[in-house]
Amino acid sequence: MMAVRKLALVALLVTVAVGPASRSFGQAQPTPVTGDWLLAHILSDPEQLNPLTSNDAGASAILGYIVQTLLTRDPRTLELKPLLAEARPTIAADKLTYTFKIRKDAHFQDGRKLTGEDVLFSVKAIKNPLVNAPFARVYYESVTDAQLVDEHTIRFSIKEPYFLNETMLGGIEVLPRHYYDPQNLMKDVGIKDLADPAKLSDNAKKFAEQFNKNYSRNPMGSGPYKFQAWKTGQEVELVRDPKYWGIGKPGIDQAYFDRHRYRVINNPDAALTSLKSGSLDTMGLQPLQHMQQTGGDRFKKDFEKHEYFSPNYSYIGWNNDHPIFSDKRVRKAMTHLTDRKQMVKTILFNLGQVVDGPIYFHRPEYDKSLASIPYDPKKALELLAEAGWKDSDGDGILDKTIDGKKVPFRFEIKFNSGNTTRKSVALALQDELKKHGIGATVRELDWTVFLSEIKGRKYDAMILGWAMSVTEPDAYQVWHSSQAANKGSNHIAYKNPRVDKILEEYRREFDPKKRIELYREFQKILHDDQPYTFLFTPKSISAVSRRFRGVEVLPIGGLRPLDWWTPAGAQKYGSKPSNN
Amino acid sequence: MGSYLVQRFLLLIPTFVGVTLISFLIMRLAPGDPAELRAGGGLRGAGEGGLATEKRGVVDTAIAQWRAQYGLDKPLPVQYAVWMKNLFTLNFGESYKDNQPVVDKIRERLPVTIKLNLLSIFLVYLVAIPLGIYSATHSYSIGDQLTTLFAFVLFALPVVWLGTMAIVFLCGGDFWFIFPPGGLSSIDYSPDWPLWQRLKDQAWHLFLPVLMLSYAGFAGLSRYMRSGMLEQLRQDFVQTARSKGLPEGIVIYKHVLRNSLIPMVTILAGLLPGLIGGSVIVETIFSIPGLGQLGYEAVLARDFPVVMALFTVSALLTLLGILLSDLLLAMVDPRIAFGRRG
Repeated sequence: MMAVRKLALVALLVTVAVGPASRSFGQAQPTPVTGDWLLAHILSDPEQLNPLTSNDAGASAILGYIVQTLLTRDPRTLELKPLLAEARPTIAADKLTYTFKIRKDAHFQDGRKLTGEDVLFSVKAIKNPLVNAPFARVYYESVTDAQLVDEHTIRFSIKEPYFLNETMLGGIEVLPRHYYDPQNLMKDVGIKDLADPAKLSDNAKKFAEQFNKNYSRNPMGSGPYKFQAWKTGQEVELVRDPKYWGIGKPGIDQAYFDRHRYRVINNPDAALTSLKSGSLDTMGLQPLQHMQQTGGDRFKKDFEKHEYFSPNYSYIGWNNDHPIFSDKRVRKAMTHLTDRKQMVKTILFNLGQVVDGPIYFHRPEYDKSLASIPYDPKKALELLAEAGWKDSDGDGILDKTIDGKKVPFRFEIKFNSGNTTRKSVALALQDELKKHGIGATVRELDWTVFLSEIKGRKYDAMILGWAMSVTEPDAYQVWHSSQAANKGSNHIAYKNPRVDKILEEYRREFDPKKRIELYREFQKILHDDQPYTFLFTPKSISAVSRRFRGVEVLPIGGLRPLDWWTPAGAQKYGSKPSNN
Repeated sequence: MGSYLVQRFLLLIPTFVGVTLISFLIMRLAPGDPAELRAGGGLRGAGEGGLATEKRGVVDTAIAQWRAQYGLDKPLPVQYAVWMKNLFTLNFGESYKDNQPVVDKIRERLPVTIKLNLLSIFLVYLVAIPLGIYSATHSYSIGDQLTTLFAFVLFALPVVWLGTMAIVFLCGGDFWFIFPPGGLSSIDYSPDWPLWQRLKDQAWHLFLPVLMLSYAGFAGLSRYMRSGMLEQLRQDFVQTARSKGLPEGIVIYKHVLRNSLIPMVTILAGLLPGLIGGSVIVETIFSIPGLGQLGYEAVLARDFPVVMALFTVSALLTLLGILLSDLLLAMVDPRIAFGRRG
């Protein structure tokens, strides 16, 4: 999601450590040197490389090296820290005004100084209703005004107190005004003027049109890497900016590789072969590739494999409005019938962990005291009997009289076609349910069709996934009852008044301890209600060339290529000049 | 012949309109809304781009804007009319994905696809014609049976499998490193390289994709060649030539071969649309940014302007191909006359 992506350099690589995480801390490290290239793998072209209008994960990863934000997060502690701002913002007592001081020594890749004007422009660009950035705009909707106090100070006014406002404002990607708006069309347009699309000035319209059209493939910012070239379907290339403002500055990210080349290889087999033959330095491995194709001595000599959790979870969503699944005893029974440990073993090849709630298990908000619901068909049948489900007519299928009508326990599980993990889960569950007199059918749907059926709540059960926040979570959007209407993200129609109250209070609570308490309670309620059958969080595996140094799985997870470098003697590409 | 040509051309118009109309309807009646898809985080949107209800308003506005911008808010017949009108000015519109002109996207990928397919057609003919001749002149011999068997085994091998095998075994994984595992140029490729080096690099990269694109064609074409020749060999004039005492070589290569090449020429014209259609499978296996890949991604993303442009171009080429093959046939075969008999 956009808010996460905004703190890109950290956020996109954050996943959690397992295995070789606690490696060589405190040991004297050699000083990193520049030079060499990184050849990384991407499965397809980014859709576009406009920092505001692009909305795909591939683009975020690349743009994170080019464009910077006011604040960032420490990759190890996840603490907010200044990047383009001098310090964290001053927050007024009413929590409605945030003042940022901007560094005076930062400049863009073309050498122009970065000032408050650029920050103001960036916010205006996001807020311009005709700019194709509705996703970013959603997050900045609560920004009611922004004013320059002086050349390097900007003050934001916010609609209502929310503890994530600092993260949101700190995540503004600062774009060079002179580059993205050369005619300064947005100069006289105020934030307030942008609220109503109908009353937009001609200049604002003209800006939006140009911005949407002319900046899809030529990003520029203040980051350590400059955009160099994009050969469609072949590769995207970034070069280290030798004049990067942050060079040598303590606490500011440094870059070591001369080049990042993202090679588009849309066939995973070909990608692995490329890796082995030396035309890639790193790639994410598929489970089968990890298990069967990367165990040889030659591979081990050239590459090291790193294993870490990907912060997302899969779940089976039960339509809480459905006559069968509106009963929480039935939902609990379904979880008891889902052999999640076995699924992790056979479907994920043991690369994953069973989860029982939406909060990432490495967050302080996570409630460790809740016991995982075990696979237990006996308990499940008891619960079902308690809920009134029995085979009264002896046809082998459980039934129950609901509203005077006999209803057999039959339903359909939907998932998106092409997702083999979800398919395997659905089939395994179908098989298990059959043994206990429950008739489930499975149905694969094209992604767009699937989405619209989910949003329209035209399903009994479905399998989907959510990303989990590695920073402070906010579960409002998925679990608040207000989000069940109007195609919101609470598409199972979960409604619990106490949960609503917690979610609302949590957002206004600025004390982290109290927030943790609130979310512990929230998790207990969810555990009891079982609106979803939470499935698992998968692990990712990446292979990285052994010639790189500084490669480590971060304590909070993930790899961070920005920290990687190659000792002078081992550099494969040296510091060759560009060929493009 | 002139009036025949005019007639044929006029017939092309309704056919073309029909083809585009059907393509348009299929595309539009298939479920999936490009604006919604885009709002959901694009094709590869992780999970589901869920948004809070109060924020949903912003997205709905954006979706409405996109619909208006793309013209999707108008009724289908109007959309089709607008599209047709633009087509007359050779305007294929802009891609929904990044607002870039569709024409540029096609232009960017066209050279690769044409190169690949021309080479492949050339290779198919290069192999299939001698194979067919051999089979015909040695019909029902062991050699004929073996080449036929071999050609059909190749024909039956799925390209997905063979291509993957080629990559795993020949491209530097754990086995041989003879060819690159995909792409169009080497990592250290430079436009400053001398011509021969650039050509070598190209050839090295294109070899496997061209082979994969071609091998299945060997069987079909060599069969055409074989049956064509066998048919000719049974003709009276062959008998006459032989009785005249002409050497067998002259009989075969001068008289029989020329006549039996006629169907081969017409097949060639039929291959024309394939020139730009590209091959989704081969392009995907070898990571080649051609038109097949473009079309495939556009269909998944419901990028209507791109899809329609590709449909249109390949429909046009198909129609032209058919016309061309008719004309070619007339040119190589004097027995066919147009319109009134002269």
